[in-house]
Amino acid sequence: MFDRLFAGALLCLSGLIAWTAYHFDVPFQYEPLGPKAFPLILSTVLAVCSIWLLLKPSPNKWAPTGAVLLKLLSGVALMTGYAFLFEKAGFIVSTAIVGAVFCILFGEKPTRAIIYSVVLSLVSYFLMKHLLQLNVPTGMLFGG
Amino acid sequence: METLGFLATGFSVALAPMNLALVLIGCFVGTLIGSLPGIGPINGVAILLPLAYAMGFPPESALILLAGVYYGAEYGGRISSILLNVPGDAGAIMTTLDGYPLAQKGEGGRALALSAVASFAGSMGALTLIVLFAPLLSDLALKFGPSEFVWLMTFAFTCLATMVGSRPLKTTIGVVIGLLLATVGVDSGTGILRYTMDIPNFFDGVDFLVVVIGMFAISEVLVLLENWLRNDMKLTPVGRSFVSMSDLLAVKWVVLRSTLVGFVIGVLPGTGASIGSAVAYGTEKRFAEGNDDQFGKGDIRGLAAPEAANNASAAGSMLPMLTLGIPGSGTTAILLGALLMFNITPGPLLFEQQPEIAWGLIASMFVGNIALLVMNLPLIGMFVRLLSIKQSYLVPVIVMLTFIGIYSIHGDSFDLYFMVVLGVFAFILRKLGFSLAPVILGLVLGAVLEQNLRRALSISGGDWGILFNGPITITLAIATLLAMVGPVIMKALKKR
Repeated sequence: MFDRLFAGALLCLSGLIAWTAYHFDVPFQYEPLGPKAFPLILSTVLAVCSIWLLLKPSPNKWAPTGAVLLKLLSGVALMTGYAFLFEKAGFIVSTAIVGAVFCILFGEKPTRAIIYSVVLSLVSYFLMKHLLQLNVPTGMLFGG
Repeated sequence: METLGFLATGFSVALAPMNLALVLIGCFVGTLIGSLPGIGPINGVAILLPLAYAMGFPPESALILLAGVYYGAEYGGRISSILLNVPGDAGAIMTTLDGYPLAQKGEGGRALALSAVASFAGSMGALTLIVLFAPLLSDLALKFGPSEFVWLMTFAFTCLATMVGSRPLKTTIGVVIGLLLATVGVDSGTGILRYTMDIPNFFDGVDFLVVVIGMFAISEVLVLLENWLRNDMKLTPVGRSFVSMSDLLAVKWVVLRSTLVGFVIGVLPGTGASIGSAVAYGTEKRFAEGNDDQFGKGDIRGLAAPEAANNASAAGSMLPMLTLGIPGSGTTAILLGALLMFNITPGPLLFEQQPEIAWGLIASMFVGNIALLVMNLPLIGMFVRLLSIKQSYLVPVIVMLTFIGIYSIHGDSFDLYFMVVLGVFAFILRKLGFSLAPVILGLVLGAVLEQNLRRALSISGGDWGILFNGPITITLAIATLLAMVGPVIMKALKKR
């Protein structure tokens, strides 16, 4: 079932890719093949493969429980939030918050999780920024 | 004799103080990453690549560091296989079969020591073969024109499809997805924009690092989240660690055969350590027929074979990457991408024009393996203790490193969002039974494949016959055909 859904999506995608490639506006071209051919060949291969998969899907026993699904979704949300906060709130604050929640998601007690991630964010900030001189955002809070 | 001179140049690069330090760091981190269940070599290299790039190392130093992580992880993977029955990485799955029973008998130390020596022998054997074959292969590859390279890549993808993953169909789809990702951005031939969706960040193509980290590290975090259970893993006591001469003599032919098997499979495009170790284990079991009742119950032959093979194939997969520009495994695909980021094109010319990179890397692998043997015999206790690090402490560090690494390339939050999106996509792919290495191989080779195809047809003026114009192209075409139908025929024969 999962395979069929995915194959259907791929089939639509390959159509879209072929259509876009066909309508590339190429003002000049000095070679016989040009920029259209490669995507067109690939989309054809993709279309054939996805039709094959649509007809012959493999069984998939993946059936996550509600709790697992919730955990996965919170993981995704957490990382999206991290991406949002990383530059705005700065490395120290965002890492302390997101690290603590991840710690808790993996079964750590809240107080220990918070202590661990605060220490982790402070130590790695100085390690990354000053020792390795990487581009780590300071954030508004500390006047970055 | 010329080779010895190049090798000497290589050692002068590898033994320069900074590079020597990087070899040691790489090997140490690699062993650590390999021994921690969950993050294997591919993730370790992916996470460290942007950091190495951002720190502004010269290309040969960055490569020496990342390669150290790669083969170091093949050593480290055995530790948790033997002591916990949990493979530290995919290449160490077969090691659990005989390693864990040995540890249960209280012979964990003996198993760790023997497997360290087997790993060392496998690596060193494969490295010697690399030194022998690299000049030959790169000389041959100098004769390659665009149509030969088109076939070489087609051959690589075909091998990948028929040998890796649960279904050839899914591997093919993975490769095509990777190749399509490579077409995003400005077309070098005509300057038009392809599939950028008017997003400026895509104008110069999707960033290789963002794709690699997103697909491997981020999806791995999600897999860890899904599989996490509230159980404390029980470490089997190590016992006395020693290398016994009689053990070594008993497995010397096993190690030699497995090294060869691992090397050949490592050289074959796309097939890496996990397949190499599985094939070597199977081969040894067949060799021991009639006397194989101990296999799976703690036979030292069943322990030495996969360990020699996975290290031999890790080293072997470097050979096609350096000489032909075709990676021999998923992890070397990332190393190839790393070289491309430094504007270095691996291939036959690398050995002529930048011998310090090619031979420096090869020499550093000799140095690294000696260091690894030292780390893995007397210092084994330290790595064993590190196994008890809780995942709740590990995952925040992984997530943090990926975010720092990606952010420090362009300083743009867009890359972070894109990375998470790719991670979710890769997680779905994994759940559907796709392997991710083909996608990365497609991404790395996509631009090269298209360039060569277009150049070939420019030469011939649009005549596709150029793809069959000489003995090399025809040989490669036949090899591709064999790789395509061979496994199908084998399966049909076995059924009868």
